[in-house]
Amino acid sequence: MIKYSEKKVLIVEDFTEFARAVGTMLRNMEITFCDTVTSGEAAIQACREKKYDIILSDYNLGSQKDGQQVLEELISFKLIKPSCVFIMLTAEKAAAMVMGALEYQPDSYLTKPFNSQTLKLRMDRAIEKKQTLKPITDKIRHAKWHDAYQLCDKIMEQSPKYRSSCLQLKFDALKGAKQFDKAFKLVSEIANERITPWVLKCMGSLHYENKELEKSERVFIEMTETFPMVIEGYDWLAKIQRLLEKPVDAQKTLQRAVERSPKPLKRQKHLGQLAEQNNDFDTMTHAYRQAVKYGQHSAFSGAEEYVKLVKSIGKVLQQNTTEDRKKLISEAKSLFLQIEHKFKQEPCTQFRAAVAHADFSYIIKDQKSIDKYIKNASAFFDKIEEHIGVNESIEIAQSLKNLGLNQLAECVIEEAVEQYFDDPQFIKKASKITSNKHLISNAKKANTLNNKAVKYFKHSDYSSAIDFFIEASEIAPNNVNIALNHAQALLKRFQLKKEYPQDLYDSENILAEITRLPLTDPRYQRYSELLRLNQLMLQKIE
Amino acid sequence: MQKNTDDVFNMILASTVHDMKNSLGMLGESLKSIFERIEVSAIDKKATELFGIVQYETSRVNNSLMQLLALYKLENEQLPFNPSYYNLYDFLHEQKLLHLPLLDAKKIQCEIIVDEDIEGVFDESLLGTVLENIIGNAIRYTRTKISVSCTHSDHIEIEIADDGFGYPEEMIKLAGDYIHGINQSTGSTGLGLFFAHKIAEMHKHKEKVGNIKLANGGSLGGGRFIIQLP
Repeated sequence: MIKYSEKKVLIVEDFTEFARAVGTMLRNMEITFCDTVTSGEAAIQACREKKYDIILSDYNLGSQKDGQQVLEELISFKLIKPSCVFIMLTAEKAAAMVMGALEYQPDSYLTKPFNSQTLKLRMDRAIEKKQTLKPITDKIRHAKWHDAYQLCDKIMEQSPKYRSSCLQLKFDALKGAKQFDKAFKLVSEIANERITPWVLKCMGSLHYENKELEKSERVFIEMTETFPMVIEGYDWLAKIQRLLEKPVDAQKTLQRAVERSPKPLKRQKHLGQLAEQNNDFDTMTHAYRQAVKYGQHSAFSGAEEYVKLVKSIGKVLQQNTTEDRKKLISEAKSLFLQIEHKFKQEPCTQFRAAVAHADFSYIIKDQKSIDKYIKNASAFFDKIEEHIGVNESIEIAQSLKNLGLNQLAECVIEEAVEQYFDDPQFIKKASKITSNKHLISNAKKANTLNNKAVKYFKHSDYSSAIDFFIEASEIAPNNVNIALNHAQALLKRFQLKKEYPQDLYDSENILAEITRLPLTDPRYQRYSELLRLNQLMLQKIE
Repeated sequence: MQKNTDDVFNMILASTVHDMKNSLGMLGESLKSIFERIEVSAIDKKATELFGIVQYETSRVNNSLMQLLALYKLENEQLPFNPSYYNLYDFLHEQKLLHLPLLDAKKIQCEIIVDEDIEGVFDESLLGTVLENIIGNAIRYTRTKISVSCTHSDHIEIEIADDGFGYPEEMIKLAGDYIHGINQSTGSTGLGLFFAHKIAEMHKHKEKVGNIKLANGGSLGGGRFIIQLP
């Protein structure tokens, strides 16, 4: 028996009459703790303040965030506890399902209208299932793969009712443990019983892990043909086709996906990137326009789609004179205003936007604006404290060169090369922009030294590794990767021999020099982990 | 351009159906509130029965809307088909609960015969819409009870049987050609069976395809609806 009197419930429903009706149903189940909010934003806020056991959310919440976006944000920002049951209330289950990604599925869908018996049954079932599978999902969350898949067999025997869920979790555990052969055997057995979208997704993703991209592509083509409304198939297929260097096919695949499910921001951005690569600027404009539109109420929206949209509008204007120029120009101008306003606190974005604005003004031959935004750009450049991203650096430097600002372009490229010399795609693009041949050859030198050092590191020869890291950092003193590697090698050497406490002070100094790493940088986590370890070790010796 | 018009129509149709469903939901809820305001002693047998009928008719309209929307989407290759594993006992019990107010009002017994632990592969939302309609009709035409039973061997077979007068002979003979079952005088629109047939056909496994059958007799002696999914 589930004790509902102890459960905390949140109702998210913009239709107040309906929310009241659901509230009455809950009270009849002896639920006394029940909050109601009328928008997705309010739901997120409520979950920041309280930890709920059950959330009943409408899918369609008016013009703001929808129920699916609420769920995705709650999971991504860890605002709900793992045991929380999320039930999506919807007028039509199918429509809601198409819009969501498979990894962010609610525990249950409940189709409106429903009666209190059905509501209670759904809640009972969802809670019971979550509780039964909890030992497994806990282990998976903590990456204890071996324990997890052993538990799967045990729980499957005790509760045959959850056989298929246990098998799916077992697959996740085997994949997590990188036991791809066993995982493949398991999924093949299930496939013999029945081909479901899940089975095909698992097979395709295993081929991908095994770097068998052609095989993976074939599986995902089958998935999109057999289950054309399961959108995740297209996302996977496009990802594989991109890796197979078939950007045109990948674009077509994603276009089929957005026809069916246009809302997810990530999908529109991927489509925009592919269209840019394929020089299809109409599609690029359309995709980023949708990204800006659907990102309006999303916590995952950023400056990227705004800047890219302005860029693509510029390209369309350059290519085509019959288009409605006036309309496009005013759209771009309004976007620049939005960027200025929305991302006021980000000098990096403001710098990027000012350069893009000057570039755009050049396309529409507005000399006054070019001068104004070049001036703004230089001012913002001095304020930037963080590293500019790898793709952004290329974009900005290219525009600056077009505008004849070679010196500033070189500055941007120099900094980027120092940061991203280990990215061959980037180096290829950068060498086309810079006229400083010395820069690229130095980058290659630093890369070689860093690679050598990493090799020694892997063989636990930390002293040799440290020597090469020192050499590499002399060429690229601001490179975060080398600094992190260097610090890690020092910590390792200390751990191994405990001979040179100086190692700890050296690594502390190296880490202290890293001041420009934004929180959003993928390397940030490694940086803060090293910092923490360093502090711990220092405390022990002091 | 055709594509765009289709998209717009699709959107308007879907949003109108959703809006109508909301209205239906509110209708039911408001009626319930009215009932709650009336003193218990004032609610006689007739009132309870009428309440049951209103609920049944609302859910019938709702179900027909869902079927129409689904058929439209099917025609335009927009209907999601997403089969997965589901527990059949849970699934069928929920179908019964949907009809509980009417079952209670008409004092009709509903028996579910299915093994508790078996799972089947099907699209839950589509099969749910099919069964909601068939069970609703069975309740309408039965006398004292209905039974929902399910067996699972190499395929799933769900049978809904009643102790009413059974299906008319000419309807049973139509087998598979249910669109011609439209008959103004009996009130049969043909929608429910046509839809059931379409949904059964979407369920495929290897060479086998799902189907539906109508029959009379069986253990309850009335109509029998059988849906087989491979």
